[in-house]
Amino acid sequence: MAAFQLLVNGVALGAAYALVALGFVLVLNATSAVNFAQGDLVMAGGLLAVALAPLIPLPGIVLLPVVLVLMAALGLLMALAAYLPLRRRPPVSVFISTIAVGIILQNGAAILFGPEPRAAPPLFGDDTLHIGGLAVPEQSLAIVAVAALLIGAQQWVFARTQLGRRLRATAQDPEMARACGVPVTAMILVTFAIGAACAGAAGLLLANRYFVTPTSGGDLILKAYIAVTVGGWGSVPGAVVGALLIALFEVGVSSVLSYPVALGALYLTLLAILVLRPQGLFGEAVRRRG
Amino acid sequence: MSPLLSIRNLTAGYGGASALDGVSLTVAAGETVALLGANGAGKSTLLKALLGLVPARGELRFDGADLGPLATEARVRRGIGYVPEGRRVFPGMSVRDNLEVAGLPAARDRARDVERVFALFPDLAVKSGESAWRLSGGQQQMLSLGRALMGRPRLLLLDEPSLGLSPKLADEVFSAVGRIAAAGTAVLLAEQSAARALAVAPRAVLLRLGRVVGDGPVASLSDEALRGAFFGG
Repeated sequence: MAAFQLLVNGVALGAAYALVALGFVLVLNATSAVNFAQGDLVMAGGLLAVALAPLIPLPGIVLLPVVLVLMAALGLLMALAAYLPLRRRPPVSVFISTIAVGIILQNGAAILFGPEPRAAPPLFGDDTLHIGGLAVPEQSLAIVAVAALLIGAQQWVFARTQLGRRLRATAQDPEMARACGVPVTAMILVTFAIGAACAGAAGLLLANRYFVTPTSGGDLILKAYIAVTVGGWGSVPGAVVGALLIALFEVGVSSVLSYPVALGALYLTLLAILVLRPQGLFGEAVRRRG
Repeated sequence: MSPLLSIRNLTAGYGGASALDGVSLTVAAGETVALLGANGAGKSTLLKALLGLVPARGELRFDGADLGPLATEARVRRGIGYVPEGRRVFPGMSVRDNLEVAGLPAARDRARDVERVFALFPDLAVKSGESAWRLSGGQQQMLSLGRALMGRPRLLLLDEPSLGLSPKLADEVFSAVGRIAAAGTAVLLAEQSAARALAVAPRAVLLRLGRVVGDGPVASLSDEALRGAFFGG
């Protein structure tokens, strides 16, 4: 019973992490830039949901589309201000500009919301469902369902639509994509918008059970980074699987030992993967950006 | 009648090094022109400059319009297709997606054009759902050619299409180029294998160290001029 409960919690946390890692890896593939503001975008999404809740006093699922649209707009703004002007400069310029965006978001959030932890409304409700003698929090199931839906929708767009083909071509070979008539700059803007929308969704999903503070993004960007490293640098399915594995590991070890031990073990595992299998679990896919 | 492509006094290079120095040439609608020269003559740079992939100065006109201010994707949409050296298919995408990504906006047009490409290269039809990285070199070259055709180009820029292919596969690719040209698409073909290029192109432009050193019908170009383009002197 307890193991099942842990599994549900781990999968729910992993589903939210997967959205963070997905947004991170999409931007990474499209621009070759590591977006260090991704964790702070998650925080911004969570606080946006907190701010919207009194204005739209409805379940979180109703807030979700609003958060997605507003966060996509924030992603566009970020690309226009912090990526496009620097794209032909050395990579370290973008690296620093995304860190700057993260700091601006953190300080902006601190000014607007203060340092106290805040909770977003649950997606549907706070009840615990009893299924065949098992107690399952409704919010955990809702997180898994919503994250699966969003990741599935992203995969469908990428696999089945012309926009998705153009986004993938841009990620694989931007110069050749241009030579095929693909408006690469527009695709990069769209990618930033999707990445920020994913982060925003994760923020809304996490901010109910785990709360959100202006500094909570720092931990999340590290998780996204580890997920992408574990899954295989640049691999989209690898990032999702990596995120799920991290969350299951974190929840499992925390329950037996403690959260700090789980975090320490996580970073040790990361080091071991970097040494023993630097290409990650889906390393082959990295070469082909599959 | 004005030419489809007109290049005047084109200069291009990488960093401080000049790769093209005052190149001028024209290509008429439906014409096939071979661009010949040794390694480093500037053939690839010329094709890239036409697409805006390398910075260039000079006058570039396509179908009367000035290409200079246009971005690469806008040049492609005006009717220029490009088959790069080394094929550069999108390796993680399926054969069909490689074709569709370069296609027209309307899904119905794209579907029709994919079928046309499959008719030209039946091997690709069989591998339609496979990832492009799984294809052989020859199949990747056909995919690269087919992808360039998806935008219904009026001018096709081909950069070393036989490079790295077995003689048999190179023959197949050149046979396809011949069919594309016969269907009315103008072709500017950069190729180190002069024999192959001249078999499909009635006219050749000889480049040496970034300059045009010969331009005319193949029959009018002397062996000496050809040798000069490849070996100097």
